[in-house]
Amino acid sequence: MKKRIFTLLLCFALVLGMTACGDTKKDEKKAPESNSTTEANQSMEKTEKDEPKESMTMDSVKLTVSIWDNNQKPGLEQILADFTAQTGIETEISVISWDEYWTLLASGAQGGKLPDVFWMHSNESQRYMENNMLLDLTDRIKNSQSIDMSKYPADIAELYALDGKTFGIPKDIDTIALWYNKTMFDEAGVKYPDDSWTWDDFVEAAKKLTKEDGSQYGCVIAVDNNQAGYYNMIYDYGGYVISPDKKKSGYDDPNTLKGMSVISRLLEAKAMPDLQTVSENKTDVLMQSGKVAMATQGSWMIAAFKDNEYMVNNFDVAVLPKSEDGKRISIYNGLGWVAAANTEHPEQAWRLLEYLGSKEAQIKQADLGVTMSAYEGTSGNWIKSTDKFNLKAHLDMTKDMVIRPYSKKTVIWENLSIDKLKPVWEGKVDMETALKELATEMNTILSEE
Amino acid sequence: MRQAKITSRSQNEFFWGWIFVLPTVLGLLILNIIPIFSTIYQSFFKTGDFGKGNIFVGLANYQKLLNDPLIIKAIGNTIKYAIIEVPFSIFIALILASLLAGERKGKSFYRTIFFLPMIAAPAAVAMVWRWLYNSEFGLINNVFGIHVNWISQPGLATVSIAVIGIWSVLGYNIVLFIAGLQEIPKDYYEAARIDGASPIHQFFQITIPLLSPTLFFVSVTRVIGALQIFDLIYMVMDRTNPALNDTQSLVYLFYKYSFREGNLGYGSTVVMILLLLTMLVTVFQLWAQKKWVHYY
Repeated sequence: MKKRIFTLLLCFALVLGMTACGDTKKDEKKAPESNSTTEANQSMEKTEKDEPKESMTMDSVKLTVSIWDNNQKPGLEQILADFTAQTGIETEISVISWDEYWTLLASGAQGGKLPDVFWMHSNESQRYMENNMLLDLTDRIKNSQSIDMSKYPADIAELYALDGKTFGIPKDIDTIALWYNKTMFDEAGVKYPDDSWTWDDFVEAAKKLTKEDGSQYGCVIAVDNNQAGYYNMIYDYGGYVISPDKKKSGYDDPNTLKGMSVISRLLEAKAMPDLQTVSENKTDVLMQSGKVAMATQGSWMIAAFKDNEYMVNNFDVAVLPKSEDGKRISIYNGLGWVAAANTEHPEQAWRLLEYLGSKEAQIKQADLGVTMSAYEGTSGNWIKSTDKFNLKAHLDMTKDMVIRPYSKKTVIWENLSIDKLKPVWEGKVDMETALKELATEMNTILSEE
Repeated sequence: MRQAKITSRSQNEFFWGWIFVLPTVLGLLILNIIPIFSTIYQSFFKTGDFGKGNIFVGLANYQKLLNDPLIIKAIGNTIKYAIIEVPFSIFIALILASLLAGERKGKSFYRTIFFLPMIAAPAAVAMVWRWLYNSEFGLINNVFGIHVNWISQPGLATVSIAVIGIWSVLGYNIVLFIAGLQEIPKDYYEAARIDGASPIHQFFQITIPLLSPTLFFVSVTRVIGALQIFDLIYMVMDRTNPALNDTQSLVYLFYKYSFREGNLGYGSTVVMILLLLTMLVTVFQLWAQKKWVHYY
């Protein structure tokens, strides 16, 4: 009899355990705060009643912060440590690689479990803002002492704003420049690139720097290298990727084709490693292993480059080549710091955003060389962050910039462009045919937005 | 008609029976059965962002599927992968298991070695192999002084990936086969030896038939596993890889549509094809087992 009662109890506990698990999950969705500790509960209630100065209750809070670039983690950790020292609010930063980042974020958004504070990108921001996934910062910015949206580039602020509401604080800006291997240039007797270079000069130099045995190529521009690669050529030659009203693809524009013909000429001359090689090795790996003499890279790569011995010893950076008409454009972009709309600690999350956007933190970000900061007048600090490369080239590229093309479904047509351009890189389809097809299919996608 | 009398004993057994299967039933329901039906349900919808605002579109997703050249290709790729992975992983495992089942020096050492890939994280395995295969800097090409694009040459990439698959699953198959081999009574072999049967003869006449239930189990589970191939492709193949179209499996496409492009509805439709394919193959296997599996 005893045994029976025992087994019954055991089963009961088991079943209860399972159903209890299911219940809490549901509760989490409905009321996120019900699952946290009582301490956090209290602070939550207080902050909801708009008592942001209650720093005592804030002590117990730990904000989760998600980013995708491992190279920026050490610098950002220092900035976050300063924040903790000032406010007592703890943070925990986690890095998830670019692809997984968006997958995780999307499922997190769907399941009601986003990180408290995280990075946002122009590729995805529209979707998140439209679906009220991000914390509305409009009123908080209005009352803030340290955030003044006019201090950031308007294009970037606009990426994280919708219908007059602001959802993100600009974090940084980035520009593209031309990285070249000095040793290889010396060896081939080619003059270093400078601001007199046109894309023609670039192609000619690439040909000269290519060795016939395949041990060295003139340059590399990967098929998914849009922002840091062929977008710059397209806009230099007066082409466009997406119309300003986001309704029409510009891939079938004759000027776009003119820009893309720089790529065609490089492919024809076999001055770039073949698609197979580039798909197995990222462009920065090919640079660091002495396979290519030139590559266009974004300023966000510097954090990684300055720690690489080979890069420091052999590479330097110059402005991008210009078109024959003298147009030299850099595609630029900037990340935004955002908070989850359903965060358990909106007040603390806001204080973190406010800090990250403040002049103090933005200057520190530039000083540490994490990235160029979005805040006005901080570029001088960034240039001084390392003397290993001529960072001024990246700064010079800010003179004429175009924001990275985006729409609501950027990811879908960007993936499409990779699929359509791959055969061109392989030499199986000519550029014009591929661009026409790409434009038609991209227009279909845009019409469904 | 005779009314069955419900005794307290049978009532009791009924009650306890259900209590005992309840955890499994609940687990199956929550983790398998309900998701199957919600996937079927999803496949009739155009997904809104973050699962909100789904629009019923009837069979539109299925129509799109029929006109999607990538799908046909992916079905072919998936089957090709399974055809390479399953027979080789079973055949090699069977040979190794027969060698390891007997009394042999260092038996447990080899068993451990062969089982090791099983406990390594698939993502880590894929990363290591990706570097081994790398055409520029990979160990394989450099050791043999060749230049083969193992993972970026359309015809070859599936084979290369299947090799990783075989390597990872070998240990698991070996363990199952060793267990099966140890079940076979020694008397049969003794009798065969007395009758003068060679070891090869013994293998085909005794080992294979008596191992057939294990063989059957392994082949069914391996086929299902192979049809669901995703992680290796995902980890090894970059999106810009020219061989991707000739390698991507159905589950890879499902992942691409559902999660990368946020179209859960169409992703679910792709998975329905996989479900159908798996069911067909498994039904065939269940039917065919009558011809070759001997339960003793």
